[in-house]
Amino acid sequence: MISYSRDPKEEIPTSAVKILGLGGAGSNMLERIALDSIEGAQLISLNTDIRTLSASLSKDKIQLGLNLTKGLGTGGDPDLGQQAVLEAEAEVRAALKDQKIIFLCVGLGGGTGSGAAPILARIAREEGAFVIVFATMPFLFEGSRRREQAETALNQLAVLSNALVTFDNNRMGELVLAKQGIHEAFGAADKMISESIKAVIRLVVKPGLIHVGLDELITALRTTRSRCLFGSGIADGKDRAAKALRNALSSPLLDQGALLKDAQSVLVHLSGGESLTLFEIELLMQNLQKHVPEHTQILFGAAIDASMGDALSITLISSLPEEALTSSTQNSHAKTAQEAAKNISSPIEPPQPKRPTLKLPDKIVPERPQPRLIDEVFDHLETKATGPVSVQAQDLKPDTQSSDQTAPPLKADSPPAERPKEKAHDRPFAEPELISLESPTSPLAETPVAKPEVKPAPPVITPPAPVQITSAEPKPSVAEIRSEPAATSAKEPKVDLANPLQLKTDSKHPVDQDELSFKKTPRGRFEGENPNVIDGEDLDLPPFLRKKK
Amino acid sequence: MARRTKIHVGLEIGTSKTCIVVGEVKPDGAVKILGIGVTKSAGVRKGEISDFHQARACLKDALARAEDSSDVEIGSVFLSVTGAHMQGVNNRGVFRLPNNHEAIEMEHLEEARDMARDVQYPTDHASLHTIVRRYLVDGLEQTASPIGLFAKTVEVDFHIVHGISNRIQNSIKLVRECPLEVDDIVFAPIATAQMALDREQRLRGALLIDIGGGTTDYALYLDGSIAASGCIPVGGDHVTNDIHLVTGLPFSKAEKLKILEGNASSDPALSVGIARLTDENGFADVEVKRAILNEVIRQRLEETLLLVRDRLPKDAVESIGAGIYLTGGTSLMRGFSELAFDIFGRDIYRPEAPENNDLSHPSFKDPQFATAIGLIRYAQIIETETQRPPGFFGKILRLFWPFGR
Repeated sequence: MISYSRDPKEEIPTSAVKILGLGGAGSNMLERIALDSIEGAQLISLNTDIRTLSASLSKDKIQLGLNLTKGLGTGGDPDLGQQAVLEAEAEVRAALKDQKIIFLCVGLGGGTGSGAAPILARIAREEGAFVIVFATMPFLFEGSRRREQAETALNQLAVLSNALVTFDNNRMGELVLAKQGIHEAFGAADKMISESIKAVIRLVVKPGLIHVGLDELITALRTTRSRCLFGSGIADGKDRAAKALRNALSSPLLDQGALLKDAQSVLVHLSGGESLTLFEIELLMQNLQKHVPEHTQILFGAAIDASMGDALSITLISSLPEEALTSSTQNSHAKTAQEAAKNISSPIEPPQPKRPTLKLPDKIVPERPQPRLIDEVFDHLETKATGPVSVQAQDLKPDTQSSDQTAPPLKADSPPAERPKEKAHDRPFAEPELISLESPTSPLAETPVAKPEVKPAPPVITPPAPVQITSAEPKPSVAEIRSEPAATSAKEPKVDLANPLQLKTDSKHPVDQDELSFKKTPRGRFEGENPNVIDGEDLDLPPFLRKKK
Repeated sequence: MARRTKIHVGLEIGTSKTCIVVGEVKPDGAVKILGIGVTKSAGVRKGEISDFHQARACLKDALARAEDSSDVEIGSVFLSVTGAHMQGVNNRGVFRLPNNHEAIEMEHLEEARDMARDVQYPTDHASLHTIVRRYLVDGLEQTASPIGLFAKTVEVDFHIVHGISNRIQNSIKLVRECPLEVDDIVFAPIATAQMALDREQRLRGALLIDIGGGTTDYALYLDGSIAASGCIPVGGDHVTNDIHLVTGLPFSKAEKLKILEGNASSDPALSVGIARLTDENGFADVEVKRAILNEVIRQRLEETLLLVRDRLPKDAVESIGAGIYLTGGTSLMRGFSELAFDIFGRDIYRPEAPENNDLSHPSFKDPQFATAIGLIRYAQIIETETQRPPGFFGKILRLFWPFGR
C-alpha cells in the first residue's frame, strides 16, 4: 500500500502551541486544562501572586512584578498588573518566541488579569503568534467597578487578539444546577474553556480528512473586533451526530444556535474515531443547515482521530462583527462611551499591534484612570438626567437630543406602577456606560439589563390595548426599535430580546385552540369508534401527528 | 399429576387471527401439540368482538382446521380474552387471629382471602382471576399455604384481574354458539406468560409484553408471582393506521410497507433514503421517505411501551432481573428490541419462530401461537391444582370409578 503524506506546511507542530494562564482565575483554568491533559501543548502560568503561582500545576511559571509587588497580588489594581507584566516583559517575550498559536486564559476583573492581559496579548502578537483569548467576565455581584475594569480590558483584548471568546460568569448558572456547589460551578466553566481549547487545538493540529487550518479559522473569526461564537459538543453512542450537535448548540455562547443566524461564515469541524461515517456527517450538516442562513459560508473540516474512540465531537466557530456595533452612533450610550473613549485615547481606537512596545502603556498609565472616572460620573449624570427612558425614546426619535423632550410623556404613558421601580432597581447596576460596552462584547450578559428596556416597548407602541398583543405584533415592533438605532449590530440583541416576548405570547396560544381538535381529524381505520383515550391522549391518532402540535 | 393423557384446547380470538391449538398433556406432564387451526380474524377490533357474525364465521373456520389437523373432535376450549377494559390490580387482605387461636386455620385464611378479593371495581365488572401472590405471616413471607403455622396476623396478597362482564360473556356466547363448551376463561397475557416465562424467569422477575394486532398485553412477574397485568388497546393495526394517516397510502399498502420496510429503531442511519414498494410489473408503486416512515412507527411503539412502563408499579422495572420478553406479531418489527431496550434498559428477549416447524415437536414454541399454547399450559396447571383437594363427591366417585384418575 502506498501512503502519501499531506502537505506538512498546513499542520502545526504541537510544540508551537502554548497555553497561558494569567492571574488567579487563569491558573485555575490552566489546572483544569492540565487535568484534561491536552497533548503536546505547553502550559505557562503567569501571576503576580507567588503563592498561587507556586501551587500551579504547569511546568513553566513566570512571576510578574517581582520588584513591584514583591510576590503579593495586585490587590485588584489593573495598573499594577500592567506595570508588573512590563517588568517581566523580556522573560515573557522569550517564552512566547516562535509560537504559532497562543491561548491566553484569563479571568477579567481583577488586577493581574485585567491589567496584564492586553499587554500579554500584544506581546504575543508581536512575536507572530495567532492569539486566542479565553476570558471570563466577573459576576454581577462583584460590583460595577470590577465589571468595568473587566470591560475595559475586554475591549482592549478584542482589538489585540485574533479571536476573543468570553464566558460570562453570570451565565454559569446554565452550566450547573442551582444546588450544586460553587466549585462545581467554577469547575464547569473551566471545563468548558478547556473543552474549547482542546477543540481548537484538535482543529488546527490534527491532520484532517477534509482539512481546515489556521486560514479557515481566521476567515471564520474575521480579523479584529469580533465577538466569537463558539460551541463544542462531544457525544457517543447511537445518534451521536445529533447529540453532539445539540451539545454544541447548547453552549451558552451560541444561545441555542440563535446567534448563528447572523453569522457570515461558520467553521464546522468534526472529529471522530474510525467509526465516523459519511452518513453521520451528512446528517449533522443537514441539521446544522437549519440553524444557519443559506448565504452563510460554511467552512467544513473533518478529521479522524483514533483516540476519540466511539465519540464524535463537533466544533462550531464563528464570529459576529463587532465593529458595526461600536461604530453605530445612534445609540446615545454608545456615543457617550465613544466620546469618553476618545477623550482618554484608550485602546478602543483602532489597533496597531506592531507599535513599539512602550508607547501604549505610557499612554495608559498616566492618563487613563482619573479622567475616565470623571467622565464616567458625567456620563452617569447625563444619562440619569435623560432618565431610563432614553433608550425607549429612540423608537420614536433616534436623535439623542430629542430624547429629553420625549421622556416625560413616555413616563406618563407607562401604566403599571412596578415599572418605574424596576428601573430604579436596575440603574445602579446597569450604568449607561456598561450597556454600551457590554452589548458588543457579550450580549449574553446584557439580557438582564436589556430586558427592562424592551418590556415597556410594546405598551408604548400599542398603548390602548395591551391585551390584544399577539405573537406577531411585538416582534416587528422590537425589530423596528432595534434596527433603527443600530443598523447591523443590533441584530444579535434583537434575537435575544425578541425571544422572551415571543415565548410569552406563544404560551397563550395553544390554550385557546387545543381542546376540540381531535374530533375533526381523520381516524382512518378507527373512524367512527369511540375515542380511545388514555391519559388524555387519543391513542387512535398517530403520535407522529399528535406530538407535532 | 394426571395419571392419564388429557387433551386440552386453547382458543385465542385475536385482532388479527383466530387460533386454536390442540394439545395433549401426557401423564408425565409433557405437552404435545396435536394440531393447530388458524384463520385471519374479522370482526375483532382492539381485542374485542365488534362484529359477532363475522367473528363466529372465523371461529368456525379455525375450529374446522384445528379438528382437521389434530384429528380430534373438539368439545370444549380454554378461551383467552383481552381488551382495554381488562385490569389487573393487587390487593392485600389482613386478618388478625382471634385471641384464643395460636395457629392459622383454614377459616382464618379464608377470611383474609375474602378481604383481599374485595377490590373496588365498577359494578359492571366481574373478576376473572384471583391469583394468590403470597402469604405473609406476621409480616414474614410465606410462599406456600401457611395453614397450621403459629401467627398473630395472616395476610394474603392477591392479584385480581377484572373486566366488563358483558363483554366477557359475549366472548363466551360466541364460543358456545359454535358450539363449543368453555372450560375456563383466561386473561391473555397470563396465558401467554405460562408459555413464555419459565419458573426461574418468574422468580428473577420478568415482564412479558405481547404486542398483537389490536392490543398490547403485559404481565409482570416478580419473585415468582404475578405483580401486574393489563392491556393497552394499541397494536400493529395502529401502526398501519398511523402510516395511512400520515402518508395517505391505502391500508393494504401501508401494511405492506410496514412489514417490508418499517424500522422502529431510532438509529438515524436506518432512516436514510426512500422506502419503495414495487407493483407486480416491477415499477415503483409507493415511495415514502424512510425518515418519516420510521419516525411514525417508532413514535407509536415508543408511546405504547411507555404506556406499559407507566402502568407498572413503582420501581418495578428496576427489579426485573431476567429481562423483558416480547411476543406478538408487532414485536417482529425491525428495531423493536433496541427501542424496548432504550425504554426499559433491561435485557430484551424476542423469541424467534423455531426453524423446526414440526408440530409433533414436544417443545413447540412458536411466538405466533404463544397465547393459545399458553392456554394449554394454564389448563394443565389448573387441572393439577383443582385435583389436589378432591371434594366429597370426588372421593365417592373415585371409589367407583374403574379407570382411575
